[in-house]
Formats: sequence, structure tokens, C-alpha cells
Amino acid sequence: MTWLFVAALLTVATLFYVFYIPGRLFLGPEKTRVGYLRERKDAVYENLRDLNFEYQAGKVPDSDYQQMKSSLQDEAAAILAEIARLEPRNGS
Amino acid sequence: MKMFFPRPDKARTKCSAPLFAPFATSGKALKALLLCVAIFCLSGASDPASRFSDIGHRMMCICGCNQILLECNHVGCPASDGMRGELMAALNRGDSDSLVEQSFVQKYGPTVLAAPTGKGFDRAAYIMPVVALVLGFGLIVMVVRAWKNRPAPAIAGGLPPLRGAELEQFREQARRETEL
Amino acid sequence: MAELGSFALLLALALSVYSFLAGLAALIYQKPAAQPAGRAHTPPEDIGFAALLRRGSERLAETSRRAGVASFGAVLLASIILVICAFQDDFSIAYIFHHSNRDLPGPYKFAVLWSGQEGSLLFWSLLLTGYAFVLRLRYKTDPRLFAYASVVLAGVQIFFLSLLNFAAHPFAIMQGNIPADGNGLNPLLQYPEMVIHPPMLYLGYVGFTVPFAFALGALIMKYPGEKWIHITRRWTMVTWGLLTCGIFLGAHWAYSVLGWGGYWGWDPVENASLMPWLTGTAFLHSVMMQEKRGMLKVWNMWLVFATFWLAILGTFLTRSGIISSVHAFAQSSIGDWFAWFLVITFGVFLFFFIKNRKSLESEHKLESLASRESSFLFNNLLFVLLCFTVLWGTWFPKISELVQGNKVTVGAPFYNRVAIPVALLLLVLTAIGPLLAWRKTSLESLKRNFLWPTVGAIIVAILLMATPESWGSIFGLKPWRDISYFYSLMAISLSVLVILTVASEFYRGGKVISNHTGQGMFASMVQLTHRNTRRYGGYIVHFGAVVVIIGLAGAAFNQDQEKEMGYGDKMSIGPYTLLCRSYTEDESPNYFSQWAMIDVFKHGKPIGSMTPVRRFYKASQQTSTIPDIRSTLNEDLYLVFEGVNQDNGHPIIKAHLNPLVMWIWMGVWIMLIGTGLALIPNAQVAVRVPATTRLERAQPAPVATGD
Repeated sequence: MTWLFVAALLTVATLFYVFYIPGRLFLGPEKTRVGYLRERKDAVYENLRDLNFEYQAGKVPDSDYQQMKSSLQDEAAAILAEIARLEPRNGS
Repeated sequence: MKMFFPRPDKARTKCSAPLFAPFATSGKALKALLLCVAIFCLSGASDPASRFSDIGHRMMCICGCNQILLECNHVGCPASDGMRGELMAALNRGDSDSLVEQSFVQKYGPTVLAAPTGKGFDRAAYIMPVVALVLGFGLIVMVVRAWKNRPAPAIAGGLPPLRGAELEQFREQARRETEL
Repeated sequence: MAELGSFALLLALALSVYSFLAGLAALIYQKPAAQPAGRAHTPPEDIGFAALLRRGSERLAETSRRAGVASFGAVLLASIILVICAFQDDFSIAYIFHHSNRDLPGPYKFAVLWSGQEGSLLFWSLLLTGYAFVLRLRYKTDPRLFAYASVVLAGVQIFFLSLLNFAAHPFAIMQGNIPADGNGLNPLLQYPEMVIHPPMLYLGYVGFTVPFAFALGALIMKYPGEKWIHITRRWTMVTWGLLTCGIFLGAHWAYSVLGWGGYWGWDPVENASLMPWLTGTAFLHSVMMQEKRGMLKVWNMWLVFATFWLAILGTFLTRSGIISSVHAFAQSSIGDWFAWFLVITFGVFLFFFIKNRKSLESEHKLESLASRESSFLFNNLLFVLLCFTVLWGTWFPKISELVQGNKVTVGAPFYNRVAIPVALLLLVLTAIGPLLAWRKTSLESLKRNFLWPTVGAIIVAILLMATPESWGSIFGLKPWRDISYFYSLMAISLSVLVILTVASEFYRGGKVISNHTGQGMFASMVQLTHRNTRRYGGYIVHFGAVVVIIGLAGAAFNQDQEKEMGYGDKMSIGPYTLLCRSYTEDESPNYFSQWAMIDVFKHGKPIGSMTPVRRFYKASQQTSTIPDIRSTLNEDLYLVFEGVNQDNGHPIIKAHLNPLVMWIWMGVWIMLIGTGLALIPNAQVAVRVPATTRLERAQPAPVATGD
């Protein structure tokens, strides 16, 4: 019959752990537009770094490089501007 | 090794059969084996040997071990020794490959062949992967063409493109932060 | 003890059900403020119970998470109890009676947990709740996404725990008298690797539930952006590495225990582990397209679902008895459960896919056919095609039975014919892929970068063909003699091509870094790898994979020889001569054994002796062989004690000569090292620049951290 006792103890301990929640909950940062833009910026930056690297490693011809770099930089600039607009102090 | 690369001719000699308690085999199999060895030694030439190996690798042992006939490795196997003997005898009679296969299929059922044949519905086994390859390839070509013909995308998130000094300023920032 | 075990399982099920329902309610009634930015949200009517739920949804979600965490504890307790019962030889529990015996050595008693139907399902649940446990503890990374993933995982947990509680109970009690000793563990499983192979494979199988849970969660919540892919990435790589490890441990076990001289038999259960590996590998590649370019969102969603689904399908195949296999578990009653689970998961996924497919639209443009992007498309095509071929071959006997009324066998010759050409194409792609830049590659540079590796590969091919056959194994390879020789030659030279392109990638990347930093070449390459661990770790995985393929290609040259060997009898195979020195019998508490001592000579010189063994296990009344294997880089000499001639007591020895097998195991280690490297976070430190360079300030080297 010891197992009944252990089982009861186990149940009580589990219920206590599951339902006794003191203090504040961690809800995480709210997903904001700035957060989303930051993710986008990181992705575009990575693509830019990749492009630079592949250019220097000799995989991309000069003309393609300039054109692709320019379009990626445009995209990055638009995102940076938007971040700066939404968060004037931290934007630069 | 019965997996990735099919094996060509390699002589196989089997000289005796086994016997003791848990590992026993029947006397019949022993005779068949001796016959097989005798034929082997008499024939000498590599051709029947290579045909034996070739066809033997296209058949399964039917004892339930799920192994290729010539790779079935338990000495106590109730089936493989006899089957090998039959195969050797048939080759020695001068039966053609297809005749040998047919007689095996008649005796042991179609599962004795290690792979689907090239006849009837069995062909589907080989055709489907090719069809899938062609369809998949076609699909990719279509997708690539469609994606290549797309207009240059707007900046994701519905951002307006910048102009003038502001554009230059932020482009410069992006350039600084991503390259030398 | 058994009662407590049963209780723990019931508790785990109750906690999973609560975790699922409470989590679901919390997500349905979550506060509007928690909705992702930029999306319209119509506030639901605030009345009654719904309002209560809405106010407390965050607390409800927290209890759901905690119930999930606790469910791991309960399953862990049940597993520990089962193992303790195995060690205590508690044969009142049917499972222990059927899978253990008193004289079974300790570590194998541990393995009893996963050696039978019920125990392995318990083990599966343990790993599933274990993964979910880690996920639920790491929820702070992204609480909302993790909440969705946790609910999906709780749903899967409910299935497995219901199975344990109602269909395959591991703590079922023996009827009647308690037997004095158990039936014993299957002797084939009494081998050290068997203690780790199933856990590894299961870790891989079960692990793909996590990426699936994230994917389904992201789909349901219409996750904005690609961050979830980033979060899932590590999980997928770890799981993939474990599955790779599990598959090859299985191959190695088959090679060292089953005694037929091979490591892969295209058995349905082996195929079952290969299929999710193939789709998982495809996913690891195509996911980069989504991360970097926001492309292939729909495809990736389906790929990750297919991987999870195929892992479950594999389990269904093994357990339902629907397809005959040497691995199959005896009972087939739980097959229906799996069939329903497969249907339900498919239905749920399809429903949310159709409902939310708009959130997966992408609008990116493909600049050129000569780009990394298009190489990934073809890579995915070939991986999925291989998977389809294996699936088709596995099910074809069943299909044939339905269509033409008789079963057929789909064995190695079928796969050799169909899968090898596709695998060779994949090798070509592996060689070209890394040379392509994202977006667009100039054909000039492609030609330039491809030239030297191609020349190298051709030289190796010519060398292989021109060398004398007497050099052994793969030398003197004449591709026109047999199709298998042709495949072998192609596989080896394409592998060399891949190795050379990988090397050139390291070299070129190292040169760029070295130019900027003035460091030496080796230091630059190390830094290069550290700055983009996924890409260069991935290249190392490619390198390992082709080393494995070189090992597989050696199989075209396998030889075998079988002979009855009395004292002093000789047998020769390849360069080796075997001389039987003695043979004898032995007895231990667990088994009888017979073995022979064979002296081995290579080119006439003695190089040692080998002792193949055959065992007869007392408890299970089964025999098993322990081959003796002498491995070198060039070839394995593999001796099997096949049996004994009853007339004279002479052992029958089968000798296999298997070239290059060791390369397979080495290649797997390299693949695992590569996977480990890819898991290391990228270095973000700025590079120190020596004062002599003209640069004005320290700059990070221009290596992207993307793939």
C-alpha cells in the first residue's frame, strides 16, 4: 500500500507545481513593428555581407555586384529610415 | 554486401554442410551442395559461375530471412541450400536465364525474385520514379521561369522607397555596417 | 512497483491532456494586446466564461506550460520504474518476463526499456516529453510561439500516452503464477551498440516532432517574418545529427552482428529511418532559402510536416505488421492507432494550411538559374525523389497485392537500379552548389572555379582505371566490365570533385580573410569557419558524406568464400590466406559458444589471428554469430563462424573481403563533427588589424552569417 501513499504525494506535489504561480509572469517583449523591421534589417545586412564576400571571392562579376548591392542597400536604407522614424532616439 | 552497388561475378565455393544440434541441416541439402560443388569444379569456366552469381543475386531466400539467395548466411537455413542446388542444376541443363526465373517463380511464387520484373504491373515500380523525376523537373523549370519573370519586388513590409539625401545617408550607414 | 508505474503513466496522460486543453483555451482566448503588430483584431464579446478565460489567459497558459513540464517528470518516473523492475527481475510484469532473464548482463537490462513493443513506446514518450520539457523551459526565447509549439507537442504526447495506457501497457501483470525466469532478450540485441543505437535513432525520429510543432505553431499564429525558422534551426540540426548517428549505428550493428557481411539490406524498417532523414536533409537546405530570401515558405512547411509524418509512418510500418520485415515487432494491434494518428495529423495540418496559406505568400524574385537558390531547388527535388523512391519501393509489395493479386519482393536490386543514378546526380549538385553565389553567379567564375576540381577528379578516375588490379580493392577499376564498376568509378571521382570544391571554398574564403587581416592561411580558414559556422560546418558535413560514399562504392569489389576448416586447413581470399589453428566450444551462464582460431597471412606474411564466434543463447533458445572483423583503410577481412559439420565437428567459416568499409564509419564521424561545428554560434568579434595595413580601423571581415 506504500504505492498509494507515494501516488497521493506525487499528485499533490504536481498540482502544487502546476497551479501555484506566485509573482509576475514572463510574457516576453511584445512583437512590435520595430522588432519586425530589425529582423528584416538583419536579414538584409546578412545578404549584403554575403554579397560582398562572394564578390571578393570572385564569384560575382563587377556589373552584377554593383547592381545587386545597390538594390540591397536601397532596401536596407528604407528599413533603417523606417526604424529611425519609429524610434527617433535609437534609430541612427 | 547487398546494398548500394550490385555485385558482379565472384566465385563462391561451399564444400560441406553442418550439423550439430542447434545448427543442423538436412542430408538432402548436403547432397545438393555436393552436387553444386561438383558441378562447380567440373565446369571450371567462369561463365556458368558468373551466371550462377548473377541470377543467384536476383533471387531471395524464401525461408523468411529476407536475404538475397546467395547472401543467406545461416547454415541451418531450410531453404537456401536446396535452392542453390536447383539453380545450379538448371544452369547446368542449359536453361536460359528467363526460363530459370520462370521455373523458380512457378515453384516458390513471385516473391522469390528480389526485384519487380519488367513485365505487366511490375513495370510501374520502375516507371513511377522516372515519372516523378520528370514531373518534378518540369515543376522546377516552371517555378524558375515564373520567378524570373516576376517584377522586382517592392520592399517587404510595405515600406516606401527613399529618395534624395535621406536615401544617401541611410545607404551610407548600411554600407558602413556591412563592408570594409 | 508496477502499480506506481501505471499511476505515473496515467498522471502523465492527465497532465498532457490538461496541458493541451488549457493551452488551447489560453491561445483561443488570449488578450488582444498580444496579437502581433500590424494585424487587425476584432475584439470578441466579453461575456461570461469567455471573459473569465480572457482575463486569466496568461495564467492559464502558464499552468499549461507547467503541466507539460511535469508530464516529463511522470514519464521519466514510469521509465525509471520499468528499468528498476528489469534489474530486480520482477517477472510478475509481463514485459519484463518477455524481454529479460536473470543472467542477462546489467547494461542489457537497461536496454530492456526499448527492446520490446510496450517499452519502446514508453521510451518514445520519454524522449518526446523530454524534448518538450527542454522546449517548455526555454519558452522565454519567444513565449507566444513556444506556447503554440507546446500545445502541438502536448497533442502528440496525448497520442503516445493513450497508446501506453490503453493499448500497449508496459506494466501489464502476468496472469497466473510468477515464472522463475524470463524469456530473455533477443540475442541479436545483446551487443554493446544495441544499447545506444535505438536511443539515437529514436532521438532523431522523435526530435523531428519539435520542428514540426514550431512550424505548425507558426502557421496557426501566422507568425510574421522568418524568425521562427531561426529559432527552429538548431533543433533541426541536432535532430538531424542524432538521426544520422542512429542510422549509421544501426548499419554498423548489422555489419558487426548479423554476420552476412553487409550493413544495409533495404529492409522496410531501414527504409523507414532513411525516409525522414532524406526529407529532413532537404529541409536543412531549403530552409536557408526562406531565412535569407523569404522564399519557399509553403514548400518548407510541407517538408517539415512530411519529415514528422514519415517518422510516424516508419513507426506504423514497424509496429503494424502491415509490411513484412525482419525488424518488425510481433503484435499488430496498435497499427490502427497509428493509422488514425497519421490521418488526424494530416487532416489538422491540411486544415491550417488551407486556412492560413495566405500568410505564407512570398514575392521574391529569382535573378538567375546559375544561383545558389536554383541549386537548392534541384537539391530538394533529388532528395524528395529519393525519398519517394524508397517510399514507393517499400509500399510496392502492398500495392502489387492490391492491383495484381500477388505480392512481389522489392529488394536491393531494385534500389540499386533506381536510387544510385539519382544519388550520383545529387553528388554532382553537391560539387557545383557551393561554387554558386546567392542570386547570381557569373558563368565565367563558375568555369574558372570548377576547372581545377574537375581536372583533379578526372586524374583520380584515370589513376583508378590505369593502376594494376593486383593492388587490390578499388584499383584497376574497369568501368566497362560491369555496371557496378561504372557506378563505383563515378561515385569515387564525383566524391573527389566534391572534396576539391569544398577545399577550394575554404581556400578562397581563407584568402579573402587573409587579405583583409594579414593572418596566415590556416588561421584565416579557422576564423572563416568560426564566423560562419553553419556554412563551413555544412561543407565539412558534405566532406564526411562523400567519404561515406567512397566507402559505399567499395562494395562493388566485395568477395566472399566459404569453407569447412579442420585443423591446418587453408582458405585464401584476395591477398589473405587463412589457416585454421584450432576450434572449440565454451559455456557461460547466458549462452553456449563455439569458436575457431584462424591464423591470418597477408601475401604469405603472418599478421595475427582471428576468432569468429557463434553463440546459442539459453533463455531465448536462439543462435547468433559474432563475426571477427579486421579493419584497415583499404579493406575489411570479415570472418563468420557459420556452423559445424556434424560428421567431423569441423567449423564452417565464411570469409568476406569488403573494401573501404572503414571509410563509411570515418565519414560518419566527420559528418557529426561538421554538424557539431555548425551548431556553434557565429563569432561576432571585430578582427584585429595589424598596424602595417592601410586600413584605418578594425573592421569585421566581410563574411555573412547566413548559411
